[in-house]
Amino acid sequence: MALTGEGPRVQAVLDPDVALAARGDSSAFERLYRLHVARIHSLARRMLGTHEADEVTQDIFVRTWQKLGQFRGESAFGTWLHRLAVNVVIERRRSFAIARERWSDDDSALDRATVPPARTDLAVDFEGAIAQLPPGACEIFVLHDVEGYKHREIAVLLGITAGTSKRQLHRARLLMRKHLGS
Amino acid sequence: MTMQDAWTDRLSEYLDDELDAGERRELEAHLAGCAACTGTLGELTRVVDRARTLGSAPPREDLWNGVAARLGERREPWRVSFTLPQLAAASVLLAVVSGGAAWRLQTAWRPAPAAVARTAESTVAAAVDSQIDPRIEPVGLVDAQYDSAVADLQRALDKGRGHLDPATITLVRQNLTIIDRALEQARQAVVDDPGNSYLTSHLVETRRRKLDLLRRAAALAGETN
Repeated sequence: MALTGEGPRVQAVLDPDVALAARGDSSAFERLYRLHVARIHSLARRMLGTHEADEVTQDIFVRTWQKLGQFRGESAFGTWLHRLAVNVVIERRRSFAIARERWSDDDSALDRATVPPARTDLAVDFEGAIAQLPPGACEIFVLHDVEGYKHREIAVLLGITAGTSKRQLHRARLLMRKHLGS
Repeated sequence: MTMQDAWTDRLSEYLDDELDAGERRELEAHLAGCAACTGTLGELTRVVDRARTLGSAPPREDLWNGVAARLGERREPWRVSFTLPQLAAASVLLAVVSGGAAWRLQTAWRPAPAAVARTAESTVAAAVDSQIDPRIEPVGLVDAQYDSAVADLQRALDKGRGHLDPATITLVRQNLTIIDRALEQARQAVVDDPGNSYLTSHLVETRRRKLDLLRRAAALAGETN
């Protein structure tokens, strides 16, 4: 089903609920929400923390609703939604101006920050340890190791160099070793 | 930095297969004789494996009602809404466009209303204080009206061009070229991301700059004339 008279290729890949939602069907959009909310909320929770995750997740889906008319089906809807979500989350982090130093190439901010010593309860709480990473390292660890983005993609998303992304990822992994548990 | 540190710092790249063949061989040779680096590599591998298998969890509370309540905010791609700072910038544009319209009606150039040269904030204040010429009928911010105002001002400038010195003409032309390029980029950016308030604000501001430049140049030509 095409959104706006697109070609056959688009018609072949477009989810019917996406097409319906793009035409204003909120029931179809709710189905899309329920299908994808867990992944989007998890992304927001890991990159922004529990307190912000609910609000940002809602913002992401509202933004998705507003932008659905631009979705042409060149990629899977889930991929498109996830990319939009990452942009919203990064935008939100920037607006909070979290740890402005984190993009410096010398990693000084990262060196000064430490993850608390491992305790038995934290050792098994890998998710909790992610949240305690220094902000820049946290973003890159989530994007690269959890979400599967490449360094060059992260560099574009965050406005940093691929080298900085690699260094921050390595530091994040070294810090996360303490929370692997036995 | 010791040699071991140097190799330790490359372990993530090794793990992600981002070393070239030569570096990879050297690192593997080092690993064969370095228990510390081998241990670290094992731990890093476990971290990566763990991260890749993290599952997704839904929010504790159903957020749908909050989303559904805001679906009325939907905007079509060609429509924009304005925040307060954007309205301030838009008010400047409105004043300029209105000025252009008034000039068109009166068919004779007159000095720019003071409001045009003011900052956005002071223009808002001016509007509130009703200091904008009451004879000017406000016009909208749609492209046709903007383009019309630009065309009118451009004609006025062309008409008075002979009365400007060549250096001024060159300067105006160069600045218009720069602004037109910026305008095109701003328009494209808004098309790509119509919900982005910063881009919308930037487009409005760039348009204002073009009108302001044209208006000042046309005024100069008119005064010289």
